[in-house]
Amino acid sequence: MDFDFKVKTASERAKVEDLFDYEGCKVGRGTYGHVYKARRKDGSDTKDYALKQIEGTGLSMSACREIALLRELRHPNVINLIRVFLSHNDRKVWLLFDYAEHDLWHIIKFHRAAKANKKPVMVPKGMVKSLLYQILDGIHYLHSNWVLHRDLKPANILVMGEGPERGRVKIADMGFARLFNAPLKPLADLDPVVVTFWYRAPELLLGARHYTKAIDIWAIGCIFAELLTSEPIFHCRQEDIKTSNPYHHDQLDRIFNVMGFPLEKDWEDIRKMPEHPTLLKDFKRSNYSNCSLVKYMDRHKIKPDSKSFHLLQKLLLMDPNKRITSEIAMQDPYFQEEPLPTQDVFAGFAIPYPKREFLTDDDQEDKSDKNNTRPNQQNNGGQGGGGQSEQGSSHGHSGPNAKRVRLSHPGGGQQPQAPPDFHQSMMFQRPYPLSSIKYNPSNKRNKDKNKKIYLPMQ
Amino acid sequence: MAGNFWQSSHYQQWVLDKQDLIRERQQDLSVLSDEEYQKIFIFFSNFIQTLGEQLKLRQQVIATATVYFKRFYARNSLKCIDPLLLAPTCIFLASKVEEFGVISNSRLITTCQTVVKNKFSYAYTQEFPYRTNHILECEFYLLENLDCCLIVYQPYRPLLQLLADIGNEDQLLALAWRVVNDSLRTDVCLLYPPYQIAIGSLHIACVVLQKDLKSWFAELNVDMEKIQEIVRYIVSLFELWKTYDEKKDIQALLAKMPKPKTQPSR
Repeated sequence: MDFDFKVKTASERAKVEDLFDYEGCKVGRGTYGHVYKARRKDGSDTKDYALKQIEGTGLSMSACREIALLRELRHPNVINLIRVFLSHNDRKVWLLFDYAEHDLWHIIKFHRAAKANKKPVMVPKGMVKSLLYQILDGIHYLHSNWVLHRDLKPANILVMGEGPERGRVKIADMGFARLFNAPLKPLADLDPVVVTFWYRAPELLLGARHYTKAIDIWAIGCIFAELLTSEPIFHCRQEDIKTSNPYHHDQLDRIFNVMGFPLEKDWEDIRKMPEHPTLLKDFKRSNYSNCSLVKYMDRHKIKPDSKSFHLLQKLLLMDPNKRITSEIAMQDPYFQEEPLPTQDVFAGFAIPYPKREFLTDDDQEDKSDKNNTRPNQQNNGGQGGGGQSEQGSSHGHSGPNAKRVRLSHPGGGQQPQAPPDFHQSMMFQRPYPLSSIKYNPSNKRNKDKNKKIYLPMQ
Repeated sequence: MAGNFWQSSHYQQWVLDKQDLIRERQQDLSVLSDEEYQKIFIFFSNFIQTLGEQLKLRQQVIATATVYFKRFYARNSLKCIDPLLLAPTCIFLASKVEEFGVISNSRLITTCQTVVKNKFSYAYTQEFPYRTNHILECEFYLLENLDCCLIVYQPYRPLLQLLADIGNEDQLLALAWRVVNDSLRTDVCLLYPPYQIAIGSLHIACVVLQKDLKSWFAELNVDMEKIQEIVRYIVSLFELWKTYDEKKDIQALLAKMPKPKTQPSR
């Protein structure tokens, strides 16, 4: 590498620490890295920014994917990457985002605490509806760009605080975790995939080999239910997770306890699931004969004849092929019924939730969840995951009390082989060696119709 | 990601102007002739292709790596970074972006060493000189110079769509596909949107196979002027290949190429 080139680029390179004040302003940390609340040093604006320092050094694959995708994506309900800083000396990567004061993990936590203390929280009547509508809008945009989120959960749904985008949902951390389909490479080569199971669709738990749009929709259904009730609908102790196996008995048991055991006529392809034999061996239909989503939601005062329930039921269909799409869901009667969804989910009312607190470096490896208000919580010592705990969770991954494990090989199978290759050159005497070129003509992408319904926003 | 090309960084930042390209290359073209410059890029495209095949990468990944490589030198002189170092770095970055999976550093270096020794000994008599730390350092410079634009649209998908419209023409697809691969040895990936490159490649394939699709082409809503320009670029590559013996000429060309100075210039 040329010396003068290095000198020249170094002199032109903007340094994150020269442009931003963020020292002592850490608001989140976890497996993804550290997030700071930052301000511009030159005072050219007084906005808050979120600066994410990516964990580790250099460019991991997830960092690459994050930068590559966020560079292209632009939607009001998807987090906006403003700038990337590469710090050559310590090989750290920094991402600059708009600052989101709230997220659904903290919002739901606040409601739970209020409920426990019998103190009502004043929120606009349509807030849950507005949140869901904007989540669907953002996911529809991602899905129509063939970006799958793959790790939707309340902590990844951010909500903007006071400012020009007040009360707007921002989906964060999409598409960067990935499933590795075959144990072709040693684990050390791969980025650890960190997951919580509460928002995992049943087909994933039964060994589905590929992420799909329907898997994201299931997670949205889980989040919707949690917004309606303040309880994680498929809450489950997660102590015995086999890291290498997607099949998770307790999580499936929890799903059936809420939903009832799936009927073959409702989910015909369940027989084709890799873990179907295990399912038959481990579960008895009769144990769940009294369970249904109607009963579960009724216990939480959501009436089975309400529009919210009807939509929830379509989002939480067990058969992924029958599950509703984001596009259709956005046209659901629920969104056309008063109160209509609003762009500011707080609909102009005071925001009842506290701002993010700064974290000190002392409680860095805080293993306990002592500030947590959730019941039945489990500790964070994930198997194989190094037991990282997460705090804050702005722009982060799972909430503090979701147990994470490294998922090495959930699919258990090989990726479908691409058809044989095409030759390389049209020159008959090739000046370079013949190659194998793979292509997959059957790889169809969906054509998006981009239909949107018009909703009068407040 | 199969998003909207017209809103992509590829379209908005990386469909370059011919005049700009010539201007950016002034420094290198004061040392090398146009043709010599092109031959050096053909050589390194071949090197990237061979490396990619050795690593069993999909053609999409190889094509993306090649475009990164060309984009870097569209903004920088060959002297800034040795192309022999930048080439594997492009492969390394592209394989992560395209979700192929991370290639382990040691495997990448080993493959470079084997490929240089076994397939490019006519160009390099010494062994591959770079190590992991060089690649990692280079990767940051590459990412920076690409302005973090990592998603590259390729002509392969539009080509498949065009062929689907024409009907089942396996021979035509196979040939046009190979022309698209060849187009990576020209500047067209820097100058034209991928769907135009697909049409240009298809056009060449039709001529070679003596298929008359004039009326079909006429119905396409494209700037045929641009398509003709693309065709000229690719055809002139084929013309060049007819008389060019890389094995014989490349050492002299690489010797003449501007090179990095690792020490400060005085």
